[in-house]
Parts: sequence; structure tokens; C-alpha cells
Amino acid sequence: MIERLSLLYPEIVLFLGACLVMVIGLSPKREVRSLCGFASAGSLLIAGLLAINTSAGNTTPLPGLLPYVKAILAGVGLLLVLLLSGVVDRRDEEEIAAGRRAFSAMRSNRAEFHAFFLFSLMGAMLCATADDLIWLFLALELTSLPTYVMVAVSTRGTRAQEAGVKYFFLGALGAGIFLYGFALLYGGTGSTNLAQIARELARQGAAGDINPIAMAGLMLAVVGVSFKIAAVPMHFYTPDVYQGAAAPVSAMLAFVPKTAGFVTILTLVSCAGWSYGFVDGRDVYGAGFALPAELRIALWVIAALTMTVGNVMAVLQTSIKRMLGYSSVAHSGYMLVGVLAGAAAGEESGYSFAQSGVAAVLFYLLVYGVGNLGAFAVLASMERRNPDGELVEADEFGDVRGLCRSSPLAGWTMVLSALSLLGLPPLLGFFGKFGLFSAGIAAGDYALVVILGLNSAIAAFYYLRLVAVSLLDEPQGSTYAPTTILARPLAGAVSALGVIVLIAFAEPLMQAATKAGRVAPMTLGVSPEGVRRAQTTELPEPGTGDRGAPSGAPAPEGEHDGAGH
Amino acid sequence: MSATLLVILTLLPLAGAAVLALRPEGQARTVALWTTLLALGAAGVAMVQFRWDHGADMQGVGRLEWAPSLGLSLSVGADSVAMLLIGLTALLGPICVYASFTAIEHRRRTYYGWLLVLQSAMTGVFCARDLVLFYTCFEFTLVPMYILISLYGSTNRKKAATKFFLYTFTGSVLTLAGLLFVVWFNATQLVPTDGPGAGKWTFDIGALQHAAVRMSSGQQAWVLAAMMAGFAVKVPLFPLHTWLPLAHTEAPTAGSVILAGVLLKLGTYGMYRFVLPFVPSAVVEYAPFLAVLCIMGIVYAGLICWVQEDVKKLVAYSSVSHLGFCILGMVALNQIGLAGSVLYMVNHGLSTGALFLLIGMMYERYHTRSMREVGGLAAKMPIWATFMVFFAMASVALPGLNGFVSEFMCLMGAFQADSEFVRAGQVGATRGVLGPVYAAVAGTGIIVAAMYLLMMVGKMCFGPLREPHAHHAHESHAPPVLPPDLSAREIVILLPLAALCLVLGLYPRPVLQTLEAPTTRAVDWVWEHAGVRGAPLAPQGGRP
Amino acid sequence: MSTLGEVNLSSYLPLMVVVLMAATFAAINIVGTLLIGPKRPGKTKGLTYESGMNPVGTARKRFNVRFYLIAMVFLVFDVEIVFLYPWAATYPNLAMSDPDRVIWFWRILFFLFTTVVAYVYGYRKGVFRFD
Repeated sequence: MIERLSLLYPEIVLFLGACLVMVIGLSPKREVRSLCGFASAGSLLIAGLLAINTSAGNTTPLPGLLPYVKAILAGVGLLLVLLLSGVVDRRDEEEIAAGRRAFSAMRSNRAEFHAFFLFSLMGAMLCATADDLIWLFLALELTSLPTYVMVAVSTRGTRAQEAGVKYFFLGALGAGIFLYGFALLYGGTGSTNLAQIARELARQGAAGDINPIAMAGLMLAVVGVSFKIAAVPMHFYTPDVYQGAAAPVSAMLAFVPKTAGFVTILTLVSCAGWSYGFVDGRDVYGAGFALPAELRIALWVIAALTMTVGNVMAVLQTSIKRMLGYSSVAHSGYMLVGVLAGAAAGEESGYSFAQSGVAAVLFYLLVYGVGNLGAFAVLASMERRNPDGELVEADEFGDVRGLCRSSPLAGWTMVLSALSLLGLPPLLGFFGKFGLFSAGIAAGDYALVVILGLNSAIAAFYYLRLVAVSLLDEPQGSTYAPTTILARPLAGAVSALGVIVLIAFAEPLMQAATKAGRVAPMTLGVSPEGVRRAQTTELPEPGTGDRGAPSGAPAPEGEHDGAGH
Repeated sequence: MSATLLVILTLLPLAGAAVLALRPEGQARTVALWTTLLALGAAGVAMVQFRWDHGADMQGVGRLEWAPSLGLSLSVGADSVAMLLIGLTALLGPICVYASFTAIEHRRRTYYGWLLVLQSAMTGVFCARDLVLFYTCFEFTLVPMYILISLYGSTNRKKAATKFFLYTFTGSVLTLAGLLFVVWFNATQLVPTDGPGAGKWTFDIGALQHAAVRMSSGQQAWVLAAMMAGFAVKVPLFPLHTWLPLAHTEAPTAGSVILAGVLLKLGTYGMYRFVLPFVPSAVVEYAPFLAVLCIMGIVYAGLICWVQEDVKKLVAYSSVSHLGFCILGMVALNQIGLAGSVLYMVNHGLSTGALFLLIGMMYERYHTRSMREVGGLAAKMPIWATFMVFFAMASVALPGLNGFVSEFMCLMGAFQADSEFVRAGQVGATRGVLGPVYAAVAGTGIIVAAMYLLMMVGKMCFGPLREPHAHHAHESHAPPVLPPDLSAREIVILLPLAALCLVLGLYPRPVLQTLEAPTTRAVDWVWEHAGVRGAPLAPQGGRP
Repeated sequence: MSTLGEVNLSSYLPLMVVVLMAATFAAINIVGTLLIGPKRPGKTKGLTYESGMNPVGTARKRFNVRFYLIAMVFLVFDVEIVFLYPWAATYPNLAMSDPDRVIWFWRILFFLFTTVVAYVYGYRKGVFRFD
């Protein structure tokens, strides 16, 4: 038990960091308060380092997720800390510095804001660690609950509050749906333990019929979690919330809950498919696709709709934030192609990044996180004072006109981020999309790949508009000036640099993603006693011994694989 | 020739662009000119070192692992076809830079920088021996071109640039899907004993070529469709050509030259490099269909040219018509047609590029492209008119000039390509799925071309002098002082192109000799792997 | 492992009985008062019940935010007790040799730590200051 605690070290560090931030953020001394960001960054750094050194778990069908997901969360989280500086209490701090009023702990939000940020990241990390439905639920909610507040307090306008309320209610609806799904999944498989569920579903699949209750639960869970990843049919909040919240918070919304959601979807789907599609060399679900037909069709439709709706709506926007919101929807659709492809083909022979949809999704999460952060960082670093003296961030296309000439750093950040999000070779985004493409083709899902291709072309339209406006137009009529908070353009610059520099490290990153996306092979002992009892060598029984120990000797071929090294 | 030289050729303009970005605006022109001249020199060295007598072999092959997870490597090499196009690219580089000296007055650094990046990307396409490298460069040409058109073009430039980007991007995304299917097929449906690189996740073009031909004819048809989605837009083939006239008309002169000279060749080169060797059986099956599209393009675009009043648009549509011949020669699937097609790529780059340059020079003086407003310029600009007549003739395919050789070979190829004739024992017939009918209908395109180009020359050069009203000419801000007729700089730009047109027209033998080996190999490969349709024919099949 | 379809529902019978009893009790009470209770309506009786006070003003009256803060601080300690009590009740039952004993000890310490952090946070936020 103590050994398994080591899997949680990154989360523990983040928790301690959150505790620290919560206390020092309320200090009346300005110097101490300003340490908040550093404390967050420090704990993220430590968490990231610990995550890289975490050995893979061994309790879920996707044991390798853990180190990779936590590491990218910590990495992009570090950039987000930079970007989030000055979001909640800038005006208060200015007034205090000017001596117009004294510090009031009751009015200050900094401590909570940073602590919530860390809690949210911690929740996302926990999603990767979770090996039980209850854990998974708690982790998902831990990811989302802080973000509701973060959205509402991010700016002073009523828009942020509206966004917060909208986000909260729809989030609660989503949570209700997937919780119901979890409950049904438990009803249909008799366990909340993911490994047990996987084994039970494989057994039912091998016996030819999957319990409809379990299948309904799985689908409800996927639909509910699609709120977190902003996929159709739970995408409606995205543009409003992204626009209402401050740009740095929107950047966070586009990455942290999305990562948590995809990790959850991957975990859930891995319980029902891919490697189990071919149990003992037999094509369980038929048609060569390693997912149950119902789930496959549902995911297919969600993926196709998500891509198309996201892109078509994004084309119509005049606000960059709304456009990025819809494009966030579209990117989720792209990644769902990878989820569908799964680890379908070639697991035995030459299993590689290019054939693994799971790895492609995991890699794309990083690619998207970095690229998207750059775009939002540019918006966050351009601002003007409105008549009330409030600082307003850039939002409309006209606000970034000629940015490359008026402030080259922000402008080029925008250009590079947009081109990377578009997937233009040789930027980082291309490699991400390439992985999804090849995984989709490897899984034989040509129609979906064609839809993906056409959608990339639609996306070109609005991303190019962004590039054209900031690169080609003359700066005129824009009253926006670079922000005084230097950390924001810095975050943007780092992520813009990232989409270039990470190309050189694409290989190790892809390898890591491949390792992370490896599905623990499962063998289903079809013994003379019958197929009643599933057995495995790779998925150990949970600690409680009362559920019946596996019977039969472990199959030898799975011995060396699956632990992810 | 070593791989290093190819890499240098590719990266040199990029390095030049980097230097340019760091230098002050005033030095942009000089830096760009020197960089392109250096690249031209390097290309010259490469062409001297290239062993033309072994034109079919990949030379200067080099390979560097990049991302083994995805099977990516940086791998270069060139056969004589690629080498010719590399040479064309390198030649047009300094010409484009030099031609822009007076035309581009604002934001020079951006302009020349992207021009250099574009040259890098184009050279990269021809050097690539790795699918992803090829595709990366292929796609990356879009960005500089987009910027060149939308920043430095004329009135409708934004729309033209967007249309250009969307058309080509949509097409090439589908191409990527098709190419990836081949990669997947090679990796999973084949086992290592099937051939070099089989059963592995690799993007090596040579290895994939062996794998691709093993696809079933149904699969090949789909891959053909996917590939053509991208390449046909780029060429452009008949129904997909609508972006081209707009892009050409709106682009700055150098942009038009590069677009016509090299960018369109990316499509034809892609077909030569991928479509023919990868999906032979589908090509044989659908060659008549492609040929019909070509012929429709030839005639239809030619007729459109006839009614154009905008001279630049006229030349743009003539590109559509001309490249129809080029593809027709390619899908004739015999050596003479293919060699003619490759030669056509070079020739079209030279003559149409020069025509765009000439129109640009005229435009700089009169700020209009309408043949209604300007005309009879021979009286005022005799040197310009001389060049105009010369290049128009080259474009019409007057015997003795370069266009004639390639156009004749393409039509000849289409004419001979009929397996029925081979079976009937006709002398000179080669196996193929076209025939005299195709060639005859396409031949009308020559007449149409003669009509519209001569009409253009007649209106522009001869007859009474027509000039736009003075206020029209001077509406732009203080135009640079240009002599009424061509300046020495402009003559220097045009002379090498004119010389090459003449040389290739009078003595094309060396080029044809070096093209014989690669085209023969390509054609043999196609028929060898064309399945049932490629089965040996009865009596005296063979080349003329 | 069993699925819903296979569960023997008879084991839930006692639960059903309890539920039924509760429902019946409630129903009897409500229906009984309706039937046999004396009915003397009056103005005061029709008022909203507010712990014996007369309801005055709007129902949407704002309370000082401090009430909520105190409520939350109360929750912190309340929840703490809810967890501490069962822990204290079961911990001695673990055998001294049980390796899990250490973990259970550290777990409750960790839990206490979180409440301490919550307390410090509340303190710094000024929850305990009444001025």
C-alpha cells in the first residue's frame, strides 16, 4: 500500500503547494503575497519532476498514462502559472501600491485563485491515477469545481459571472450524466474497479453479449465526460465561457479539464475495447473493430459532429476568444478520432506511435495545450482601459490587426500558435495531427479520416484569418497596448518557441506517448470450466480479497509487457 | 554529387532569409540577390557533378533519422527529372529577386525573406526522398505564397490568396490521407519478406513504391483519387483550376513567375513521383478519364483565353491549357509522352515565366493590364515587343523554340499510346489506353493557343499605339524612374530565359537523352505492375 | 462478481420492509390529521413559520456574509468530528502487528493537517474577527 502511495507523490506535492499558497496569499505583506505565483510554479515543477520519475501504474488497462499525463499537465501548468499572473487582483494591488487603501484579506482573491488552480491540476492528475469509478468521479469533479469559481472571479465584469454560472450549471448536468453512467456501469458489471470492469466486459464480450445496462452506462459516461472535453452534445457552453472568462483562464479551461476528460474517456473506453477486441486471437466484436459496435458508432458520430460543428461555427465568429472556443471543440473532435482508433492494429508486431490512436491523443493533448496557450497569451497581453478605468483584453479580430508590426513578439506568437494549431508542417501541430491521421488510417476508419482532413481545411480558413490579420494588415485604429505584466507575453513566447523547439524533441515525446498509450494486454482464459471467470496476468485483483481470486495459471505471453517499460 | 550539396541547395535560401531578417530594410534586395545567386551557383555545381548518363538513378542520396517513432527521416536524393526542376527553381530564384527591384517598395524585408523561404521549400520538394519531408515542403510552399499574394498583390489580393490557400490545402490534406494509406498498407499488410522496408512503418519513397503496387486495384483507385485531389488542384487539372487565374492575376510579378514556373510543377512532379509508380493499375484504368479532363482543360481554357481582355489573366488561363498537354503526355504511359511531359514542365516554366515577367514590366510602366487600354507598344518599346513576340512564339510551340519539342512529344505520346494498334502490328505504336482520337482532339488546342497568343501579341505589340491616360499612369505615388523601354536590368533578366528557350528548342537532344533512362524505367514499372492490363501484348510491342 | 440481472433480490427484502414502514407511517400521519384534526384557521396560523418570530420584510433579505463564513468554519470542525469519531472507534481494534496500522495513523494525521490548513486559512481571511 505504501508503495502505491508513490504514484500519488505529484498530487501530494500539488496539494501541499495549494495549502502553502492558500496561506501566504493572504499575507498583509506585499512581498509575501507576491510569492504565490512562485510557490505554485515551484510545486508544479517538483510535481512534474516527480511525475517523470514515477513508475507506471499497474492497476488500470492503461497503466502507462500516469507519468506522461502528469508530466504534461505539470509542464503546461507551469506556463499557465506565468499566464495567470495578475488575473484576479491586479486592480486591488495597484490601489494598495498607490496607498489608496489597505490590504483586505476578505477582498483579496489571490490565495484562492492560485490554490484552486493547483487543485484543478491535481484533479486532472488524479484522473490518470484513478483505478476506480469512484476515484475517477471525485478526480473529475476536483478538476472542474475550482474552475467554476476561477471563471466567475477572473474579471470583474458581469460577463465573467454569467460565464461562471453557465459553466457551473452545465458542468453539474454533465457530472450528473456521467455519474449516472458510472452507476449503471457498476450495475452492469458488478464492480467499480476499472480492472474488474474491464475483465467483466471482456468476459461478456467473449460470451457474445454485453450487458445492455453496462453498455448504456458506458455511453452515458462518455456523453457526460464530453462536457469536460467540450464535445458535441455538451459543447454549448464553450464559446460563452471562453469569452466571458479572462483569456488566461480560458487557456486553462482549454487544457486542464480537456486533459482530464480525455484521460477519463481513454480509461473508460479501454475497459471496453481495443485489446479486448481480440481476446485470445478471436475478433470479439466483429467487423475488425476492437470496440463494441454501440460504443463505436456513438463515438464515431460524436467525433464527426464535434469536428464539423466546431469548425463551421468557428468560421462564423468575429471574436477571437469565441473562435478559439469553437476551435477547442473541433480539436476535441480530432482527438476523438484517436480514441476510436485506439490501439487497434499491430499491437503484436511493430507496435508504434504511428499506429496507436491512444498515443496520438496523448501527444495531441500536449501539442494542443502548447499551441492554444500561445494564442490566448497574446490576447491576454494586449489590453486597453475602458472608460471605467477597467483593463479590457483584446478580443475582436480588429484588436490584433497588424500585431506583428506594432508589437512583434505578440504578433509572431500569434502567427506561430495559429499555424501550429492549424497543423501546418513542420510545426509541432503537424506532428500531432499526423499521428491522428495515421492512427485513423491504421484502424481502417477512412471515412472519419477524410472528415478529419476536410475539417482541417475548414480550420485553415479561420486560423489563416488570424494569421493574416496579425501578420499582414497594417496596424491602425487599435487602441490596445502591450500589458505591463511581462509574464504573460513571456508565457506566449515560450509556447511559441515550444511549437518550434519541441519539433526537435518530437521523437522522445512520441516515444513517451507511445509508452503511455500502451494497453495492458489481457488474455481471457477460456478454460474447460467455461468462460465464466475471466483471468489475467496483467491486471491484478484489487486489494480486497473478497471478490474471488483469479483461478488458473497466468498465461505466459503477457509477462513482460504492459508495465510500460 | 553529394547529399550535402542537395541539403545546402535546400537550406541556403532559408539561411539567406534568416540573415535578411537581421539586416536593415535597405539591404534586403542585395542580400536576397546574393543568396539566390549563390544558390544558383550551387545548383550549377550540382548539375555539373550530376552524372546525366545515369539519369534514372537516385544520386546524392543521404539519410538522417529524425523521428523513428513515426518512421520519419530526412532523406534526400535526385534523379535527372528532379535535377532539371531543381535547376529551374535555382534559375528562377535570382530572376524573381532581380525583377522585383523596382516593383516592391514597401516592406522589402518581408517580401524577399518569404521569397527565399519559398525557394527553400520548393527545392526541398524536389530533393525529398522521404514522404513526410516531401509533404512538409509541399505544404509549406503555401505560406510564403499566401503572404506574397495577400501583401504585395493587386486589388483583390486577399480573396485570391485565401482562395489559393483553401483550394490547395484542402486537396493536399486528402493527398496526405492517400499517402498515409500506402504507408499503413506497407507497415501492416505486408511482411518483411515482401520487399525492402515492407512490414515496417517507413516513409521512404523508394520502399513504399514497391509496397504500393501490391495494393488491390480497388485500393489503388481510392489512393489515386486521394492523391489526385491534391496534385490535380496544384497542376491545375480542368475542373479544379478556378483558383489559378485569380491567384495569377492578383499576385505580384515574381509571385506569378514562381507560381507558373515552379509551383504548378509541384503537382506534375508529384504525379510523376507518386501517382505513376504507386498506383500503376489504377493509372492504366483511369488514364482515359484523366486524359479527357486534360483535353477539356486544353480546349476550354484556350477558348477562355481568347476572350480575355486582361493580359495577365490570359497568360494564366494559357497555363491551364498548357499543363493539360503536360498531363496528357504523362498519362499516355509511354516513354516519349512521359519524356515530353517532363520537358514540358521545364519549358513551360521558362516561357510562361518570361511572359509574366514581361507583363509585369509593362504593368510597372502603365499600371494596367487591360488590352483595351494599352496596345501597339512596339512603337514605343521595341525591345519589350521583341521579347514579347519571342516568348509568345515559344509558348505557341513554334518549331525551333522549346515549346514545340515538348508539345509535339506529348501529343505524339498520346497518339501512339494504343494497345490495339500494337496488337494489330502497327509500327511505332506503344501500349497504352489513349490513341489518335485523344491526340487529335488535343491537337486543336494548338490551334486555339496560336489564335489567342497571336491575338494577344497583335493587340499588345502592333497596331496604333494606345496608352492609358496620363492621370491613370501616375495615380500611384511617385513611380520609380523607369525608361520608356526596357532597362539593362530587365534585359539581363530576360536574356537567360530567352537563351534557354532557344537552346532547348534547337538542340534538346542532351536533355532528352538524360530523360530517356528515368522515363523508360517509370513506364516499364507502370506496365510491369499494371496487373491484368499490363500482361504482355502479342506481336511487336515496343517503343519507336 | 455479479451483475444486476443475477442479483438475488430477496436479500433486499428487509430494506423494502423498512421503506414501506416509513412511507406508511408518514402517510397515516398526514391523512390522519387531515381527517380527524380540528380545523381553526387564522391569520397568524397562515403565516410562514420562522422559528417563532414574525416574518417581516422580504424573504430575499440579505444576510451578512459573515454568517456564511461562520457556517463554513463550523462545517470544517463538524466534518472533522464526523471522520475522527469512527476512526477513533475502530483504530484500537487493529492488531498491533497489522502493517496497515501505520498507514491508518498517518492518514488521520494527514486529515488533521488539512483541517489545520483550513483553520489557518480561515484565520487569515479574518473569519474570526468581529469588527
